[in-house]
Amino acid sequence: MTFGKFLVRRLLQGVFVIWGVITVMFALRAVSPGDPVNLILDQAAGEELRQQVREDLGLDQPMYIQYLDYLQGIVVGDFGFSYQSSRPVLPMVLERVPATLELAFAATIVALIISIPLGVVSATRRNEPADYGATIGSLVGISTPNFWLGLMLILILSVQLGLFPTGRRPVAFHDSIWIALTTFHLGPLITWFHHIILPAVALGTYFTALITRLTRSGMIDELGKPYVTATEAKGLPGVLIRYKHVLRNTMIPIITVLGLQLGTLIGGAVITEIVFSWPGLGDRFIAAVNNRDWPLLQGVVVFIAISFVLINICVDALYAKLNPKVAAQ
Amino acid sequence: MHDEILTIDNLSTKFFTENGTVRAVNDLSLRVGRGDVFGIVGESGSGKSVTARSVMDLVDSPGRITDGSIWYRNEEFTDRVREDHPNAVEDGAVDLLELPESTRHGLRGSAFSMIFQDPASSFNASLTVGEQIAEAVEVQRRAHANPRSTRARTSGSNYSLKNYALSTVFPSKRFVTRASRDRAIELLEMVGIPDPVQRADEYPHEYSGGMLQRAMIAQALAGEPDVLIADEPTTALDVTIQAQVLDLLAELQEETGMTILLITHNLGVVARMCDRVGVMYAGEIVERGTLEDVFDDPVHPYTQGLLGSIPDLEGREGRLHPIAGNVPSLFEHEMEHRCHFADRCPKAMEECLEHPPEFDARGSPHHAARCYLAETTYSEAKALPEGYFSEADDPAMEQTETAATDGGGE
Amino acid sequence: MIPERLKASLKREFHQSLLAKVGLGLLILILFLALFAPILATHDPTTSRYWDDQGNSYPPLGITYDTEIAQEGERVEYTVEPTTEHLLGTNNVGEDIYSKFLYGARTSLLVGFFGTGLAVLMGVPFGLIAGYYGGRVDDSMMRVADIMLAFPSLVLAVALIGVLGAATIPIPDPIVMAGFAEDMPEYMILPGSVTIVVALVTWVWFARVARGEAMAIRSEEYVKAARSMGASNRRILVTHVLPNSLTPVIVLATIQVAAIILLESSLSYLGFSGTTLSWGYEIQQGQAYLSTQWWIATIPGIGIVLAVIGINLLGDWLRDSLDPNIEGEHGG
Ligand SMILES: Nc1ncnc2c1ncn2[C@@H]1O[C@H](COP(=O)(O)OP(=O)(O)OP(=O)(O)O)[C@@H](O)[C@H]1O
Ligand code: SF4
Ligand SMILES: [Mg+2]
Repeated sequence: MTFGKFLVRRLLQGVFVIWGVITVMFALRAVSPGDPVNLILDQAAGEELRQQVREDLGLDQPMYIQYLDYLQGIVVGDFGFSYQSSRPVLPMVLERVPATLELAFAATIVALIISIPLGVVSATRRNEPADYGATIGSLVGISTPNFWLGLMLILILSVQLGLFPTGRRPVAFHDSIWIALTTFHLGPLITWFHHIILPAVALGTYFTALITRLTRSGMIDELGKPYVTATEAKGLPGVLIRYKHVLRNTMIPIITVLGLQLGTLIGGAVITEIVFSWPGLGDRFIAAVNNRDWPLLQGVVVFIAISFVLINICVDALYAKLNPKVAAQ
Repeated sequence: MHDEILTIDNLSTKFFTENGTVRAVNDLSLRVGRGDVFGIVGESGSGKSVTARSVMDLVDSPGRITDGSIWYRNEEFTDRVREDHPNAVEDGAVDLLELPESTRHGLRGSAFSMIFQDPASSFNASLTVGEQIAEAVEVQRRAHANPRSTRARTSGSNYSLKNYALSTVFPSKRFVTRASRDRAIELLEMVGIPDPVQRADEYPHEYSGGMLQRAMIAQALAGEPDVLIADEPTTALDVTIQAQVLDLLAELQEETGMTILLITHNLGVVARMCDRVGVMYAGEIVERGTLEDVFDDPVHPYTQGLLGSIPDLEGREGRLHPIAGNVPSLFEHEMEHRCHFADRCPKAMEECLEHPPEFDARGSPHHAARCYLAETTYSEAKALPEGYFSEADDPAMEQTETAATDGGGE
Repeated sequence: MIPERLKASLKREFHQSLLAKVGLGLLILILFLALFAPILATHDPTTSRYWDDQGNSYPPLGITYDTEIAQEGERVEYTVEPTTEHLLGTNNVGEDIYSKFLYGARTSLLVGFFGTGLAVLMGVPFGLIAGYYGGRVDDSMMRVADIMLAFPSLVLAVALIGVLGAATIPIPDPIVMAGFAEDMPEYMILPGSVTIVVALVTWVWFARVARGEAMAIRSEEYVKAARSMGASNRRILVTHVLPNSLTPVIVLATIQVAAIILLESSLSYLGFSGTTLSWGYEIQQGQAYLSTQWWIATIPGIGIVLAVIGINLLGDWLRDSLDPNIEGEHGG
């Protein structure tokens, strides 16, 4: 019951945020210099043709009409056509989503798998070599730009040692899984895996470092609490004390911070895709900006906003689930 | 004469802090008989909790047991340890401080259990009460599944990180089993929690303080421990609830015959519950004996001062009587080699400038006191001159004085 | 401005922490390089075509690389030797890498400091007003902030620059003006769009912090007293609320300088900064030469990492010693 209410409230807020993003994007387009018709047509095109295109796109209408038209279009899933390629925007965005999702997920998994045990070890062995190593490592990790890290990984692991490809995504994850399931042929899956490792590490490093730091300081606070002594007193195995009790409570505030860092993950994905020629949304986004392809740019941005809001709602739900006091309210 | 389940000999526990070494517990000895209720009283900071934690090996990081032995007598356990650690065994008892950590920790919950002062902060707020009690049950269930091996009773060896990771996905890998959950509900019922089935699924913040303390007792009883250590179990509770919790403890003790080490500020509680008493001051037991020894015929002036407010054994409201003066510094470099109570003692004498050993006192054979008055009688002639110590005292004295009084009345 | 107690705490924390000292050292080093770039530089960073006689760019001292050159219509193996003239070699268009490194530090710090300053100027008043007045004002202002936060800052920044264009602001270089460095560029280039954009995407953090402080201070007795004595709201905001929110704002600002330097490097890597004197741009230039002249992309990255580590360490130090909520020490 209460959870349903919570969800409805958050969804309404989310709709509001998305509307705000749409409006800001529209306003930006309105003030941006340059005539879109020039982007669509050849320089040589005659004035008549130009006028025709303007009318077709509704560019001759007053701004508020254009705005309402645009809003209406988005509601029914019509984001218009790309200036550059004349293709509808929506499929141009959607076809790039899997690649970005793969990258973001892989980076998150890399980050979680490394950072949480590292943070725990660091907090439970304070001032031992492992702790110093983790502290320095995470300091460097949050201070390194991911595109440069990506290049260094390429330089050392691809160019010098030849262990990994320098970029690209020859096969999609879902395709390779499908092939593996239907023909028992693991080649494509291995290829995919081989290609995603470096981008995932480059993108995940910042988060690995961030979560390690947060976990460490959170655990240190948490380990000083009386319930930890009480849990030790009943003889519970150390693994359970550290992970089931202390880590769990440490994660509750960390999840909020991570929710706020999702934007960094998406921004990081954009630039990582450029470094590794990973054909995702970020790649498309940068191309759209460079070409001043407004419909496409708007489509990508609005799509990112929508997914961002949805992920945030999931994070909040997870927070509520882990923290019984919030759930009770 | 071997009926002592727990014998502590010359225990010292120190905290090695940045500002110096704190002697929280110093050269402390006591004997607890099987099935007894042993009370430890003393002002705040006298080292009661550190003593209790030393027994459980729960002393926090800058702290360490530096000296002494803790003998635990349990035939089954002695037999089990004898083979691997022959030098830990003597005279049928085991010196816990001679055992490796893992073996010692295996005794948590089964030999010793502990309940704490503040139940609200001693439960994990984000797990249900039932789950947390079931964990305690499960620890013991797994330990007893393989009673031959001491390793099985050590923490961690039977539940790895891999298992925990798997358990988040596969319920069958969970540490806590259905049977343990059922047992947790039984335990809740046993300590008088109504609706235990439903209550087990509630979170600590949904319980009242008294209820939660009952739940903590239930958790402590999960492993049917030989010794229950109760560190100020009622201090955080309302007066009426205090009586109920004490009744519950007394009842359970009668039923199970377990030994209780009861730490408290409240002399009324001691009078009501305990067979033996130890009085702590500045990390030492300054007087110990049977309830009658200590309450009817105290030797140490500190004990006498504490009892000043108690009219008789039946006095229930009796609390520690605040004694004028400041609690001594426990920093090793500031402690002098004299009776630590001398600066507050109305009967301080010349010999008191030498640290007193523990003397046998009149009364029962258990009665002992760290005070020269156990041997000699006070005479004005030997008294230290008025204001002998105040010269040396630091200016912070006034501040600590109020702290001492506060502690006494807590 | 900073109470004695905090000063003492800063000092103690500094003495205890090796990392704080390393951080300060790094920051001073980078500041020094940036400030005196025209004097320290050996070549005008914008002059290109420093090549050897075969048209190859130089490697850094101590490094050689192999390439092929055309000789009498045939391609032959050729080893490029470093020269003491160009300590860190020259890049793909033949600019001096060492001199560009120094000027890159300037750009990073300029954007870092100006961008943060601008974000503080936008965010703090916004947050103070929202938090102080509360109610409707607060609600609607924080809705705006939510929208800003709801957005990946890099995406927003790129979109904004796409609109604004990568405008730059030339600032006369005082050292060159004063005649200390004859051959160096007369103007420093402040990437104006980038500075404004990074401020636009980070001010919300300052607004949040200032708002929290203002809300806490609003209910303090002395503020109530001042109000009952007829002090105007503006006066209360400036004399009571603002000074009290300074500490968390300073801590946040330090961390944000690091974040903004990273953001600037990303933007210039993507080609949106409008100046070529930027570490990020240089990395992008070097990317194509990774397999032969790896140092072109590597060296500027080291600059970014060192600068950001230094500032982050200072931020940690300030946070640990100024923020009473973090890691308090409780003796026995
Ligand atoms: N973590 C610690 N670090 C340093 N000193 C400590 C620590 N824990 C305890 N001590 C010292 O040990 C002494 C005894 O503490 P303890 O907690 O045993 O007192 P107590 O008798 O239980 O008091 P209370 O009645 O307040 O619970 C204290 O005076 C304190 O100085
Ligand atoms: S030893 Fe002396 S000073 Fe200490 S309590 Fe006894 S009489 Fe008092
Ligand atoms: Mg205590």
